[in-house]
Amino acid sequence: MLLTSVVIIIREVLEAALLISILLSMCRQLRISQAWFKWGVLAGLLGSVLYGSQMGAISQMWDGVGQELSDASIQALIYLCLLYSCRKLLFYLHNPHPAGSGLLSVMGAAIALAVIREGSEIYIYLSAFQQSSESRMGLYSGSAIGLGIGFSFCALFYYWLLSFSPRRAVLLGCGLLSLVAGGMVLQGCKMLTQADWLPDGQAWDTSNLLPEDGLPGQLLYAMMGYEASPSPAQVAIYAAAILLMLASLLLSYRQGAKRLSSETSAAE
Amino acid sequence: MTRLIGKLPMCWLSLLTLLLLPAAAALADKPVFNIEIREHLFSPSELRVPANTKIKLLVHNLDSTPEEFESYELNREKVILGGHKAVIFIGPLPVGNYPFFGEFNPKSAQGKIIAE
Repeated sequence: MLLTSVVIIIREVLEAALLISILLSMCRQLRISQAWFKWGVLAGLLGSVLYGSQMGAISQMWDGVGQELSDASIQALIYLCLLYSCRKLLFYLHNPHPAGSGLLSVMGAAIALAVIREGSEIYIYLSAFQQSSESRMGLYSGSAIGLGIGFSFCALFYYWLLSFSPRRAVLLGCGLLSLVAGGMVLQGCKMLTQADWLPDGQAWDTSNLLPEDGLPGQLLYAMMGYEASPSPAQVAIYAAAILLMLASLLLSYRQGAKRLSSETSAAE
Repeated sequence: MTRLIGKLPMCWLSLLTLLLLPAAAALADKPVFNIEIREHLFSPSELRVPANTKIKLLVHNLDSTPEEFESYELNREKVILGGHKAVIFIGPLPVGNYPFFGEFNPKSAQGKIIAE
């Protein structure tokens, strides 16, 4: 019970905490308020309990694939939130104004959705198994250890990103968030395949090289949704999502830089 | 913010239209296979299915506790609450063995799908 709990909690916590630490670190670098963060987490925790407790009803919807469709929708929404947030953050890198409420609420929404996705599963797991007294001790200590490891990893990540200059940190942060956002799309497609809304198949298989259940595989899964044997449809949609995000960020970066240079020449 | 709210439904509409297209194909009949979860064990723990055919797997969780059906080889993961039945579409699979396990009880809940 103890080890199972540690593994489950780390797997769930890492993904959401990684996203939070990258966003928070970029805000710190750009001197954008970090107050929105607690509301995102709070909304996420409330949403986890709500979503987790309604999972039975949600699963029965759409001919029994409601869980897959709602998961995929959450993941698609996180992708859109991250796309918007990164574009705005790149803009503020060149034009340091007080951040608008749009960016803050979208970042809050991204965090809330990420917490709901992972938190609901933790809620289902904890609420079901805490009823048997023999496993309760292992369950709680395992969860505490899992939480601790997950959060320490992300604290390290947060401070690592702070060690760069703001320009580098924002570029690196946006690059990492593109990977996170792409991972959401990859996992969302996996859900749609499971629901039989996308065709299944195997584009390649790297499970001998980098197994999904090994430590590097698990870390890559948390970071960018690593899949050892993705389907061709998954790969195609993933590539399109990553290209769209990178092109959009590049455009936003160049617009911001252009605006900055026109403003400086106007000042002269 | 209002601009963003205005844009989101459009994104969703286009996403939905895209997604609804293959949904029509999903309605076609597929062979159905059943697996039960009892006392954190899968039964049958080995399921033989036809290769190169899409199947509909029904997992009945007869325990009072939830379980997560998970397989790295099949790329599947689904939470099944206690007393609930879950639908999981699998394949078409090439001939081979595909292990799966219950993430909440990984030591006991293990099984494999054999495509032949």
